[in-house]
Amino acid sequence: MTDPAPLLTVDRADFGYDGRPVVRGASLVARRRELVAVLGANGSGKTTLLRGLLGFLPPLAGRVLRGPDLRVGYVPQRETLDPLYPLSAYQVARTGSWRDLPFWRLAGARERTLTRAALAACRASDFASRRYSELSGGQRQRVLLARALATEPELLLLDEPTAGVDPEAERGILDLLGELRDTRGLSIWMVTHHVQALAGRADRTITVSEGRLRPEAAA
Amino acid sequence: MSELFSPDFLFRNAILGGLGVALLCSLLGIYLVLRRLVLIGVALPQASAAGIAAVFWLTGHGHAGGADTHLLALAASLGATFVALGLLVLGQRRSRSPAEWGVGALFAISSAATILFVAINPKGDIEMAGLLRGELLAITDADLRLVAGVLIAVSALFFLFRRDLLLTSFDPEFSRTLGRDPLRYDLLLYLLIGGGIALGVMLAGPLVVFGFLVLPALAALRVAPGLIAAFAISAGVAALSFLGGFWIAYQADLPAGPACVAVAGACWAAASLGMRLRARRSAAALVILVAGLAIAPGCASRFEAAAQRAAAPLPRGSLPEALLARPIAVLPFQNATGEALTIPQGFLDAVVARALGNPPTQRSYSVPDALQQRAGFELERRGYRVSVVPAEQRRSVLAGETGAAATAGAPAGFTGPVLAGTLRRFTLTGSGLLLVQLDLALIDAQSQELLWSGAARRPVSIPSALTWQEILLDAGAPIFADAFGNR
Repeated sequence: MTDPAPLLTVDRADFGYDGRPVVRGASLVARRRELVAVLGANGSGKTTLLRGLLGFLPPLAGRVLRGPDLRVGYVPQRETLDPLYPLSAYQVARTGSWRDLPFWRLAGARERTLTRAALAACRASDFASRRYSELSGGQRQRVLLARALATEPELLLLDEPTAGVDPEAERGILDLLGELRDTRGLSIWMVTHHVQALAGRADRTITVSEGRLRPEAAA
Repeated sequence: MSELFSPDFLFRNAILGGLGVALLCSLLGIYLVLRRLVLIGVALPQASAAGIAAVFWLTGHGHAGGADTHLLALAASLGATFVALGLLVLGQRRSRSPAEWGVGALFAISSAATILFVAINPKGDIEMAGLLRGELLAITDADLRLVAGVLIAVSALFFLFRRDLLLTSFDPEFSRTLGRDPLRYDLLLYLLIGGGIALGVMLAGPLVVFGFLVLPALAALRVAPGLIAAFAISAGVAALSFLGGFWIAYQADLPAGPACVAVAGACWAAASLGMRLRARRSAAALVILVAGLAIAPGCASRFEAAAQRAAAPLPRGSLPEALLARPIAVLPFQNATGEALTIPQGFLDAVVARALGNPPTQRSYSVPDALQQRAGFELERRGYRVSVVPAEQRRSVLAGETGAAATAGAPAGFTGPVLAGTLRRFTLTGSGLLLVQLDLALIDAQSQELLWSGAARRPVSIPSALTWQEILLDAGAPIFADAFGNR
């Protein structure tokens, strides 16, 4: 399970906004082939930590060490995406395949293959041609997961991937994440409230409380 | 409709330039709507108008502006738009207040500033009309090239950066994980939107710009199966709306800008209705295409109503009362402007004929001919009996000058009073003004006595006129009111 070369290391880092830290003294290590749940109450600093891991927030103190050419996949909360855009599920997933595509090149077979494989891996091929805004919550989550997979990530960060979906869809998403960890060797970190549903699925949990990370524990 | 594209059609530039602005706005509008920045589409054109009004006031520019005024307006429009845009973007980044607060404040301040700058400008009423209705009529060949260049540049940039613009608009945070900086593409988009709005306002006015920024995009996003299709449908709706609206305005004597926006609104309503009725998207798209054309025939009948309004009786003015009992022969007017002033065949014939209740002919007219017809019409409105002498019967009956200092020869074949006219100036300016100098004389054909003389020597505002009939219908009443002393 352990890897001598961690994908990402956070060393006593503070993350916050306008110079004011929200998360203090965070230290953690992301390794390949693991599913990590980041737990915590509302306002505890989970999302701030996630934004720090994504690189959106530079550390106010401490440091964040990333592996060379680390490829990070990101699945935001699906409510942040505007349903006004006239995009099919396939078109949404396809945007993930554009990571290495310069603006002057047309998307080609490689991007199509990546997108289709990602949709198939997330069992989203059946509704790929439907309009994204018309999909159910669970289906949208699968599409966003496929979009992140199309970026060919090593580290996958998810923000509340099971919020607002029914229990069956939630189980399906968590099963899928476990599968991706096992088959693709991904390091998957997910912010969630749903402790019960995670039982037996996460390799580790990290609890954020009032901006502090509690010691890591096996799930 | 085909006559609108005729190479010798006087308002070809207005149509092509307006079409270019409509297409430009329809492309920019897709991202404006998708990013929920519609309010910016209201506020920026208003800021642009305020900029033009402010600079015109500061520099003392007003009516009869030439190329310099045109450039000044463009510079003012660009400057005001980008300053406003910069303030909005900076305010949004540095403040936690909702973005619409700043946009609303900008709109209110810009609207007030526009009116105030116009009010304190001695030539303000002209600018006001021009600003609010646009200056399609004044579009020059250079403007056409500019619009075409900007349209091509915007289309090319949208195509080149289509993926980046979509990524950074749809999900800015995800785009950052792909190495795209949303700020960079925000700036690109704002530059294009700001530039397009500034250019559009200067040429077509805030109403047309806002209408075409929003309505074609809304209609397209209702029915489009994808983003590329949305751009294509938006452009199609814009083209259809502009051409359809222009044609309706042309047929029904209506202001062109509002008519074009109304057709675009009808397209949007048709698309919304189609989708609400759960019709197939392709069917809704078809409804959009036919909606504009379906409106046209109904509007065309409004011409008669406009003609009836124009036929209301008027006071006599300075014209001699003694002539009320005698028929006045209105002779063909002389053209002393040094220009041909030929009106493309077919336009005025129908207008004048319909206004006078005569069947239309296919003969072409010049402006003096049209003014002669209008003089007869205006005399009738003042209670006189009139016979308009056809141009074919024209004889060299009037030697030399007419007007206050005129000496007139007796026109052969006439025994009663005759009205003679000489047109000395008929110049259309770039600011929607018509500069007219028309001398008139009523002469007793038998005694050669000068019974009355008058002259029209004033600029006439025709900001909304886009066609010859609009110009002559709009300008006719004030020209003859001036000459006959009704003012």
